[in-house]
Amino acid sequence: MDQEQLSAGLSARFPGKILGVDTFPGTNGRVRFDATVASDLFRSLRDDFHFTHLTMVGATDWIDHREVFYVLWSDADRRYLILSTDLPAESPVIASAVPIWPSANAHEREAWDLVGVKFEGHPDLRRIFMPEGYAYHPLLRSFKIHEPEDLEVKVRSD
Amino acid sequence: MSGQAPETSKPLPRTTPDSTPAGDLPLAVVGQPGVPFVEIETLRAREFIPAAKEALSSLLKEQAQGKLIRPVFNWAGRNSLFPLHWGLACCAIEFAAAFGARWDAERFGVVPRSSPRQCDLLIVNGTVTWKVAHKLIALYEQMPEPKWAIAMGNCATGGGPFRTAYSVVPGVDKLIPVDVYIAGCPPRPENMLDGILRLEQLIKERGE
Repeated sequence: MDQEQLSAGLSARFPGKILGVDTFPGTNGRVRFDATVASDLFRSLRDDFHFTHLTMVGATDWIDHREVFYVLWSDADRRYLILSTDLPAESPVIASAVPIWPSANAHEREAWDLVGVKFEGHPDLRRIFMPEGYAYHPLLRSFKIHEPEDLEVKVRSD
Repeated sequence: MSGQAPETSKPLPRTTPDSTPAGDLPLAVVGQPGVPFVEIETLRAREFIPAAKEALSSLLKEQAQGKLIRPVFNWAGRNSLFPLHWGLACCAIEFAAAFGARWDAERFGVVPRSSPRQCDLLIVNGTVTWKVAHKLIALYEQMPEPKWAIAMGNCATGGGPFRTAYSVVPGVDKLIPVDVYIAGCPPRPENMLDGILRLEQLIKERGE
């Protein structure tokens, strides 16, 4: 399946929710989508377009909004596909991909830990790199590299 | 020379039990036969117990004031430190090298143990992140008193090159009391041995 077929198929299934398809070297392109259809889109990509494997989930803080991106792999086409969506900075919430691709579990925990994106429906959305009791999402642009003495961290006692 | 017996080899007159009244046997017969151990022979069983009691109570009195046992413990403790075998980062390689054949820290009585309950010295040899901070505190708290801590290397001392990182504890003295700081990135094994000897000096001076 080439990029045109994929783009047409997705636009037919989710009218108005596919915001654009860019070419991206070595992949089936980058699909920008509306976060409201995330769960249905993931299911459709896995079941109808045979993207059986989720390689990674990442998030970026662009100050005015936060971008979440997914990299999918299709064994049938031997192609990658990149999904990208923008979330409002005030409430960065998106449906979790764990029910569709279990490999998203740790990646979504990382995105929550470092960038503060909430994944609804994640079975175990805890911090993964920082301890519980750490008050910050340190890869946000609003996180200042301050003097380490100012960092307030509650260290739990066993 | 060999044919003549020396004068001292003559048998001395023995003090035999015959001279003591029946029932008043000496508590113990020690030494060469014939040498009168008057003190021991006169220390009868009924006098021994009060004498031992008095000696013991005076010992305990001195111990309570820390005059008797504490210097001995201090000397014994500082010359056989048991660091915890807990490798965190690259300093742990130098830590391991110090206990190898070349530097041989065991000649100073330092033997790493794998359980904090058998240790009295925590050598923090590496970068401590906030994620592992509570484990560091737990290990320190599991060690029996008296205990000491050495911050080995720049990371443990003050965060090192990761000082401003969001994930690194800027010095383990934020978490546990530290006695000796060893600079270096990483410190050489000689440096670590110097730190241990300084800690021994510190224990001696404090008189713990």
